[in-house]
Amino acid sequence: MESLINMVLLTLLAATTIAIVGQRSLLGVVILASVYSFLMASVMIVLDAVDVAMTEASVGAAISTVLLLGALHLTKTREEAPRHGRLLPLLLCAAVGAMLVWGTLVLPPFGTPDAVIHQHVVPRYINETVRETGSPNIVTAVLADYRGFDTLGETTVIFIAGIGVMLLLGGLRRRDRAQDSAAEDQR
Amino acid sequence: MNFDLILRIGTKLILPFILLFAIYVQFHGEYGPGGGFQAGVIVAAVIILIAITFGLNAAKRVAPRGLVERMVPLGVLIYAGTGIAGLLLGGNYLDYGVLLPEPVSGHLLGIFAVEIGVAVTVSSTMVALFYAFVERGS
Amino acid sequence: MALAIDVASGLLIAAGSFFILVGALALFRLPDVYTRAHGTSIIDTAGAGFLILGLMLQAGFTLVTLKLLFLLAISFFTLPVIGHALARAALHEKIAPKLAEDRRGRGRNSAGDGA
Repeated sequence: MESLINMVLLTLLAATTIAIVGQRSLLGVVILASVYSFLMASVMIVLDAVDVAMTEASVGAAISTVLLLGALHLTKTREEAPRHGRLLPLLLCAAVGAMLVWGTLVLPPFGTPDAVIHQHVVPRYINETVRETGSPNIVTAVLADYRGFDTLGETTVIFIAGIGVMLLLGGLRRRDRAQDSAAEDQR
Repeated sequence: MNFDLILRIGTKLILPFILLFAIYVQFHGEYGPGGGFQAGVIVAAVIILIAITFGLNAAKRVAPRGLVERMVPLGVLIYAGTGIAGLLLGGNYLDYGVLLPEPVSGHLLGIFAVEIGVAVTVSSTMVALFYAFVERGS
Repeated sequence: MALAIDVASGLLIAAGSFFILVGALALFRLPDVYTRAHGTSIIDTAGAGFLILGLMLQAGFTLVTLKLLFLLAISFFTLPVIGHALARAALHEKIAPKLAEDRRGRGRNSAGDGA
């Protein structure tokens, strides 16, 4: 049953991706990307990763769609015709995709308990989280406690990215206003 | 402008529930799915919803631009400050066990504080980005 | 008793699936934005409503039922508003309805439209 759901979801994901590639209207691309995020959130729920699913649904489907629409508002909403040939990008994509598929071939099957990644610190997290941190949600405990440095880095990354975009957009706005007021003063 | 009355009333009625859900996601993150990141995004969605339905000025009355831009570094400061508090109390950086006499409640307090820091930064960054885009466009 | 609940919930879920299928067909077959909005509203209300009712019967008197009830209330509340907003936005963008009846109705409401 679960593999059936997986198959349906992955087929829909592939269909959405093909639709995105074929779409010339950037508005349509943004909406389809939002659809893609919702499907991805469903896949995450099937994989029992509810925290990731929640993040994907709220960030990928909701906020990033709104921000991309805001960005589209500033630019054109039609994609330009490609200036160079399409053969080289196609070959590059095919090569990278083939390499990724080749890389997954040596991975252990999904969910095997004796995979290498499940032998290192995972048993300790699963056994000791509730006793050590009092938090029944292991994901939260790992994110905020065991891997607190990583999350601090993530928060800082969000902070820096936000500041950067604000400077790019808002800094120009302020300069415009300064020029406008200077022009008015001259009058 | 009476054009979108139904939309306005509907938004007005649903807003408190979205905020309540954000608070639930924030403070229930230790027990169920969720946490600071998701809650921050939901709070930002509330502000953006207000901006889309009622206009940018209404959203700025709820969340003034200056406040939002100050909250962006504030969240990182809360996070880093939690780490420094552990340092001052004799533990390692970001070691929550020393925050309270009992290590387990100290860990819970540390996770709580850190999640609030994450939520503050994430929500204010998203809202500030939205403001930046909209003001540039108008 | 358990069998009766299973049968009832199965029927409800089947009804929900049927309405979702009808709505999806409507999305493909109907000619323009307004009729398609009508089709999606079938998915939103009848489809999702019957599905959630069926799932509530499966869950019994638990916290899950309460959560599903909230989901039902929220979807019944927000989705019609969203559909209305979409149709309004389409009208605002001056996308003309394709069906003759809609046009006639629109012409009657706004006299001097020249339609």
